[in-house]
Amino acid sequence: MAQNEALSDAAVSIDRALTKLREGFMERFRAAGTEQALREEYAKVLGKKGELTAILKELGKTPASERKAIGERVNALKQEVERGFEQCLSDLRKKERLAELEAPPFDLTLPGRLPVSDGGHRHPISRVREDVVSVFRQLGFAVFDGPEVDHEENNFGLLGYPPDHPATDMQDTFWTDKKVLLRSHTSNIQIRAMKSVKPPMAFIAPGTVYRRDDDATHSPMFHQIEAFLVDRNVTLAHLKGVLAEFAERIYGPGTPVRLRPSYFPFVEPGAEVDVGCVFCKKPDGTRPGCSLCKHTGWIEILGCGMIHPVVLENCGIDPEEWSGFALGMGLERIALLRYGIPNIKLLFENDPRFLAQF
Amino acid sequence: MKASYRWLKELLPALNASAAEVAARFTHAGLEVEGTTEYGAGTESCLVVRVTGVRQHPTKSGLRLVTVDRGGGQTQEVVCGAPNVPDPGGLVVLAPLGTHLPAKNLTIAPRNIGGVTSEGMLCSESELGLSDDHGGIIVLPMGTAEPGTPLSQAVPNVRDTIFEIGLTPNRPDGLGHVGLARELAALLDIPFALPATGEIAKTADIETKSLCSIIVEDAERCPHYGAAGAVDVTIGPSPLWLKYRLQALGVRSISNVVDITNIVMLEYGHPMHAFDLDLLRPANAPRILVRRAKEGETIVTLDGVTRTLVADDLLICDGEGPVALAGVMGGESSEIRSTTKRVLFECAWFDPRGVRRTARRHAMHTESSHRFERGVDPGDVARVLDRAVALTTTLAGGAATRGRVHVQGTRVAAEPEPPARKKVRFRGRRVHDLTGVDVPFAESAAILKRLGCEIVTPDASKDEHEVLVPTHRPDIGREADLVEEVIRVHGMDSVPAELPRIRASRDVGGREELARRAKEICASVGLSEAITFSFTSGRVLEVLGAPPPAVRLENPMAEHQSVLRTTLLVGLLDAVKNARRHGERDVREYTVGPVFLAPKDPNDPLPDERLRVAFAIAGDRPAWLEKPKPFDVWDAKGYATEIARRISGRPVEVVQASRQEAPPHLHPRGAAFVHVGGERVGAFGPLHPDVVDALELDGEVLVFEMELDPFVGGAATPKFTPIPRFPASTRDIALVVKDSVRAGDVEAAVREAAGPLAEAVRLFDRFVGGQVPPGHTSLAFRVVYRSPERTLTDAEVDAAHANVVAVAQSKFGATLRA
Ligand SMILES: [Zn+2]
Repeated sequence: MAQNEALSDAAVSIDRALTKLREGFMERFRAAGTEQALREEYAKVLGKKGELTAILKELGKTPASERKAIGERVNALKQEVERGFEQCLSDLRKKERLAELEAPPFDLTLPGRLPVSDGGHRHPISRVREDVVSVFRQLGFAVFDGPEVDHEENNFGLLGYPPDHPATDMQDTFWTDKKVLLRSHTSNIQIRAMKSVKPPMAFIAPGTVYRRDDDATHSPMFHQIEAFLVDRNVTLAHLKGVLAEFAERIYGPGTPVRLRPSYFPFVEPGAEVDVGCVFCKKPDGTRPGCSLCKHTGWIEILGCGMIHPVVLENCGIDPEEWSGFALGMGLERIALLRYGIPNIKLLFENDPRFLAQF
Repeated sequence: MKASYRWLKELLPALNASAAEVAARFTHAGLEVEGTTEYGAGTESCLVVRVTGVRQHPTKSGLRLVTVDRGGGQTQEVVCGAPNVPDPGGLVVLAPLGTHLPAKNLTIAPRNIGGVTSEGMLCSESELGLSDDHGGIIVLPMGTAEPGTPLSQAVPNVRDTIFEIGLTPNRPDGLGHVGLARELAALLDIPFALPATGEIAKTADIETKSLCSIIVEDAERCPHYGAAGAVDVTIGPSPLWLKYRLQALGVRSISNVVDITNIVMLEYGHPMHAFDLDLLRPANAPRILVRRAKEGETIVTLDGVTRTLVADDLLICDGEGPVALAGVMGGESSEIRSTTKRVLFECAWFDPRGVRRTARRHAMHTESSHRFERGVDPGDVARVLDRAVALTTTLAGGAATRGRVHVQGTRVAAEPEPPARKKVRFRGRRVHDLTGVDVPFAESAAILKRLGCEIVTPDASKDEHEVLVPTHRPDIGREADLVEEVIRVHGMDSVPAELPRIRASRDVGGREELARRAKEICASVGLSEAITFSFTSGRVLEVLGAPPPAVRLENPMAEHQSVLRTTLLVGLLDAVKNARRHGERDVREYTVGPVFLAPKDPNDPLPDERLRVAFAIAGDRPAWLEKPKPFDVWDAKGYATEIARRISGRPVEVVQASRQEAPPHLHPRGAAFVHVGGERVGAFGPLHPDVVDALELDGEVLVFEMELDPFVGGAATPKFTPIPRFPASTRDIALVVKDSVRAGDVEAAVREAAGPLAEAVRLFDRFVGGQVPPGHTSLAFRVVYRSPERTLTDAEVDAAHANVVAVAQSKFGATLRA
């Protein structure tokens, strides 16, 4: 502060008080041993009834011409006090953190405690998954494990996806490097199974899959179950028989199934499968239609088909001797419909209030 | 793909199925009709009327009163605010009283406008749902129709039913109406014939090949380049039938020649391009050159964007530079303009893979690339060119130039070499073999023929046939594909449902069952199952001190989902954070799933996927009729050991981690390892406070994570031990020890001191305060003494127990608590 002009007495007195405060506050802050004490000390300096406020009350006695300069000085001091407080607070917390970390260890030889509680809850996707797995197990299918990160050829190439073909647009894929990807479907297990096991075989592959989609009905990570059967004389009629059994057990007795031709590179013929809508079903078995089935009385649940002979050949299986079918379904869709969950995001937020409902 | 029902009817005179029936039939054959819309609904009630007089509205400026002749001598006056009311004699469209216009959800009723009653409305295209154009009313060309004619009769294409077909990528033939008509005819078993390409109204005495020289440098990427020409054309608006057909199909009408290329594409599914010949360089001897781009070369495409190309991009160039990105989009430099007089039409067949790579590289998804990358019909190049030229001579008044030019490799000719058709072996019985449906060969053959196949049977006594696949079906290449065609058209509803006799397989891997067991165990102890994302960020893994990511995504959707987890805790801690953000303090969740670690063999491109279980508990411990208390480390121990014990079926040992070996994410005071059979399988403890701060978890969280793969064989089978026959004697002892003495050490000493008669030692009470001196803890143990052979006497038990007191005193300086 420029001192070259003579100041009024009031200004000189304020100036002195400020200097005193400035020289003393840091020591007081440092002396505080707890956060509580520090905050109290801080309030004594800068609080509404603090020392600085008291000093400022004298400001009215100074000539207007000097007030601006004093104001600037007060502000500078305020900032200095705040910085000092933050510094001390942070030092204090470091000290406390250190003390906490260095405190004697808990005696973990004491017995563990298993709290009493009502049971935990299973995730709706897992419930659906286990129901579906159980149906297929009862039909004679076994589970074939496989990785979620796989070679491109198991996920696409050997399944008959032509390179640079728009068929791959149906599945926008996450890539890592070196021709490795996050599997975009559980069909990679078809390849892994058929390459390693001799027919006949009847497997299912439940698991996590990944696609670059993120909206109210798509999650970048979701779940599928693949089922495939390879044996002599397997036909589309067998596929339909398994689907009918599946629909009967998962969606209730008498649920009709229909096949609509569709295209998936690894099956031929390929089809989409609809089941009779379970939401608008009347006691007499009719289905007048509802918003969930888009007023058709049918709900699309999965894709399927006869395993393409190229895929069999790619795995060293002679399509003249063996045939097979494959089907794959998304579990989220089943779960959303079954439990009336409006948005797929809810499935992955793991909100305790959500999980407790299942 | 939008498809016009009216157009299909024109292509199939025998079609008498309703639009709804057509939609259902397509859907059931795999061409899913996802929606049906009515184009120009309401136009049936609208009339073509002639303006006979126009005067100002008496009170409202900007409005006029238009007198129109409705035919049959009737006239009527309506109020109109449009800026473009034609002079008397002009034809406009009247929506009479009572007309419903769904596009505006409006029914015409008498309206009083400034004292004048108007009983009708002169319509714009947007009011009729014909386009977005609401700039003015429709003014029809003179002579369109007599006044009084319904609009839908005067201009038939204003009314149509449009199908939105979700075509699968294997059906490029469905991307044109001719292909759809062929398919529909096959499905309904009605006759189909290719439409005529149309009369060429006038031919100029100029050879097409003299217009422009065409050189194809890359015949692999462009096996067929076809061209035709027209001169003396007049660019202008398209006739109404063309304009409304295009608009019904979602294509904006631009000018007659541009519209022709579009309508031909919608007809045949084969994109084409029109060049202004006078803009191709050099002007005195224009040239077309099909070549690969030079690295870094640029082109300004029709959308005005400058594209920087790579050597894999295929270009159409003139004598001086690029004029089109082959199969994707034309360039600005040679596009058709209002002044164009001479047109060069291009119809080519580009390698689908190349077009797709270019379209993806430049993020350009066009009507053209969409078709080329799926594979257009290589057999219809000549037909498409003829159609475009014929339409040009009728709609743009030009004259065709003589002959086409077809460049196919080194062959240049006026007529193309027809592309080879694939030959596929077909055995009639294979339909039954694969579908279980008995379709007689004659029916299969008829279906295939309707789809355009030709069938050759060399030996009538054998079920061995040769099917020549039409060039518009690139998806058919094997017998199974033919079987699919047969069953698709025959109807999948005919497939019976038969349960196969399955020869059961055995699980491979065993992780599904292992995971299921772990999930059930966790739920049974009171934890709820979370399903957590495998994605996380490198930063979060670093905060947790987890192994660095072994899998990084090349194309993550977001930075926080850019790597795969190396610990399950990331997702659980997200759940804790989310719950607390919503005010939920209490979280008891577990998750089961893989972590993705670096492969054991560094040359293995796949990560080591390890199945684990983890839990996070935070907030208050559930209890019965008790004031809630927060979870502590012994709760974590309880859950962790119970889970580990039940998964393994074996005893579990908890080993407290020293400060040096404590996992970095855990609090050093309470970090512990879980051992099964001497192997470390997991760790639990309170989360390190620095981690709590860094992840903004807002309070203490206790966590546990454990490997599951060691237990894939199932839990150990319990072994029976005989139930004791003799009664036990119990003695309780309360020892006061220094706080630093661990209860477990005292317990072990007690057990040892109690000798072989002690069957069990259990800590049953721990007490601090009261009469226990400060810095000390009272530990109360119950010792159970028993012999398998006899009932113990009190004296025997007392003797053994006396030793316990002595050892505790000497070993720990313990005193007996009174
Ligand atoms: Zn319904």
